[in-house]
Amino acid sequence: MDIFVDSAGPLLQALGTTIVMALIAGVGSLILGTFVTAARISPIPVLRALAFGYVQFFVNVPLLVLLILAVFVLPDAGIIGPLAPTAVIVLALYEAAYVAEAIRSGVNTVGSGQVEASRALGLTLGQSLRYVIIPQSVRAAVQPLGNVMIALTMNTALAAAVGVVELTAAANKLNLVQAQPILIFSVAGLVYMALALVIGLGTGKIERRVAIKR
Amino acid sequence: MSTTTKPSGARPAVSLYDEPGPRTRRNIRIWSVVTFVLLGAAIAAALVQFASHGQLDADKWAPFLQWSIWEYLLVGLWGTAQAAALVAVLGGIFGVILALGRLSNVRVIRWLSTGYIEIARTVPVLLLIYVMLFGLPQLGINFPLLWKLVIPLTIANAAAFAEIVRAGILGLPAGQAEAALSLGMSRGQATRYVVLPQAIRFASPSLVTQLVSLIKDTSLGYIVSFTELLYRGQVLSSFNHLLIQTFVVVTLIYLVFNGSLSTLASRLRTRPSTRTLADPGEPVGVPVTDPRPTTVA
Amino acid sequence: MFRSRKARRLAVPLIALTAVIGLAACSGGDAAVPGGDSSADTSLDSVYKNAVVAKAADILPDSTMARIKERGKLIVAEALDAPLLSQQDPSNPDNVEGFDADLAKLLAIYILGEPNVEIVPPASETREALLANGTVDVVFNTYTITEERAEQVAFAGPYLQSGLAVAVLSDNDDIKGIDDLGGKQVIVGANTPAVTAVPEEQPTATLVSFATDPQAIQALTQGRGDAYVQDFTLLASDAASNDKIKVVGQPFTTESYGIGLKHGDDDFKAFVNDWLLKIQKDGSWAAVWDATLGAAVESETPDAPEIGSVPGS
Repeated sequence: MDIFVDSAGPLLQALGTTIVMALIAGVGSLILGTFVTAARISPIPVLRALAFGYVQFFVNVPLLVLLILAVFVLPDAGIIGPLAPTAVIVLALYEAAYVAEAIRSGVNTVGSGQVEASRALGLTLGQSLRYVIIPQSVRAAVQPLGNVMIALTMNTALAAAVGVVELTAAANKLNLVQAQPILIFSVAGLVYMALALVIGLGTGKIERRVAIKR
Repeated sequence: MSTTTKPSGARPAVSLYDEPGPRTRRNIRIWSVVTFVLLGAAIAAALVQFASHGQLDADKWAPFLQWSIWEYLLVGLWGTAQAAALVAVLGGIFGVILALGRLSNVRVIRWLSTGYIEIARTVPVLLLIYVMLFGLPQLGINFPLLWKLVIPLTIANAAAFAEIVRAGILGLPAGQAEAALSLGMSRGQATRYVVLPQAIRFASPSLVTQLVSLIKDTSLGYIVSFTELLYRGQVLSSFNHLLIQTFVVVTLIYLVFNGSLSTLASRLRTRPSTRTLADPGEPVGVPVTDPRPTTVA
Repeated sequence: MFRSRKARRLAVPLIALTAVIGLAACSGGDAAVPGGDSSADTSLDSVYKNAVVAKAADILPDSTMARIKERGKLIVAEALDAPLLSQQDPSNPDNVEGFDADLAKLLAIYILGEPNVEIVPPASETREALLANGTVDVVFNTYTITEERAEQVAFAGPYLQSGLAVAVLSDNDDIKGIDDLGGKQVIVGANTPAVTAVPEEQPTATLVSFATDPQAIQALTQGRGDAYVQDFTLLASDAASNDKIKVVGQPFTTESYGIGLKHGDDDFKAFVNDWLLKIQKDGSWAAVWDATLGAAVESETPDAPEIGSVPGS
């Protein structure tokens, strides 16, 4: 266990990077995903098509390939940025597609009576989305959204492949010197487990509070 | 204004907004054109930049005209597909069992299912793969290569499938189960014939997404040295020194393969009619016939 | 830390090598295709045909060699995406060529009489475990010999000596070697010796690591770092096929690569060292070097390193 104590500084810093990345990408993906879902049920055909194309692209291409594209291919198309922000943006874009899908299954569960009632009350499309449809969809989709957030946390590890120093990269570096993969990666795995557990418990709590009783 | 009528056989659609009047339709058209133009300009700019860096040169793309290169990559894709199919079937079955277990009345079953789901959801798949690679062989258990990848993915994905199915079951109106029970069905029959089919249909967008996500997870197969698409792409790029071109091609292969799966699956599920808010994947409320301004008396 | 090998006893061949590398990079022209030209193939064919085969007496009963011989193939952990060292040819996936790959074939011929090799590509962090649980027999993967690793695996050799060098953009005249990297952004490959070597030489340099060599080269040409530190033969091969980068300065470390074996298997280690000595003496080692690494680096064939000359081997 001394090997962990010796490199506690860099390890904790890397863990901090992981948590910050997960938080920023998580919030970003939630916001973006909600907008994408809204675009898909809007009356403008172009927006619907764009939202559809967006989700199809990011859902069908592996994250690692996307990261490689963003870090190595885009610069030759004129878009270049520092590594960590690029990774966070790609992660948020990627998970937003999954958020959009999760909220979409939530929309399926909103009764048609709700829509009829909101129109009868004279709400515009924007208002009915904002006050009636989306809130209920999100409440119904808490569990899938929790899954997406956990997957996002695990996916921050892929940023190591494009040079970001987060927990997995730090564990790799430690192992290069110490050559004890089972111990090092088990501990790293347990840390990820702990993070996911926190998210899972939080999701469960939120679900119990906002679940719609039918 | 009102529910639009469709030819018999299609679902009744409930529209979220009034049928677009002339001014709205004009605005929609204007915005559509503007969006197209902006998008086109952005793509053109990117291509110009690309060309200026020499990435569109013919000789950089010429290697991809060789069938042997495509065969190399497609064999990798076949490996991906095999592993993913196994995990989907095994994980799906296991997932449904877990979801039912978690909703069971028997406390022990509920605890066991919940415990498994919570743990399997939070253990990184990478860690499970390492256990298969290092831990078990030390105990004398050495699985064939394919199973070293499939078993960890199944363990993790079964939990994900279970959660999705559970969300679908919980989202079903309680009246369905009550009606089934009042018809004299046992709980088991009610679950099997009424609740599960509808729940799975509700949750099918998420299920298909999970399937595609699982296909992408097979790229972790490189840890166990399993021949799959991403790894073969990396080997190819180190052989031909054409990183950009190789990964653009790999992206396209993934898009086509996974995209056709998603399309196939979504076509399968839109056939049965369900009476709820019309599937937002379809244009909501857009009338089938040419909308003419209706005069309201 | 264990890595105090700042031994600057660069042999004359190495110095000559790097001087010529610079020229080779500047001259551009057709890249030396890794594992490519036919003349190399035919010369290696004759090497395989005449390769030394172990005498029956050398194969001790109940030893690893006997098990391998009975199984009929040698299971090797080697990469498929390391140009010049062990690179799979996508148009012919059964064909894996390079210095590591060819030596592995020679070892297989030594034990079995035929180059029956099964390749298991390792992720760097799994090499020790693959040996420990018997999934592979040997590791031929530019496996640097270190004392820490020697506690988990046994090393035969060293069989190749190399060093880390610096590559920069062709128009960069400020950086002439490792000494100019203070405070700069340095690209390294993940899980390579550069990760520990660069901070030792230049503690003020910031490291950016990428998973594969093609990615690191791309990052360098796109300006994500000021320099790229990697094994110099790999850099030479990259510079020869990419006129946007060049290698500068001399290799600043000495890396000794060994053949990874299961820990404690002294019989097998003696057996493999014996074989290494034999192929060095009969010229096969040099022939393989010429056909692979020598194709990218225009210089004299170096002498093989002395077996057991490095702590841990």
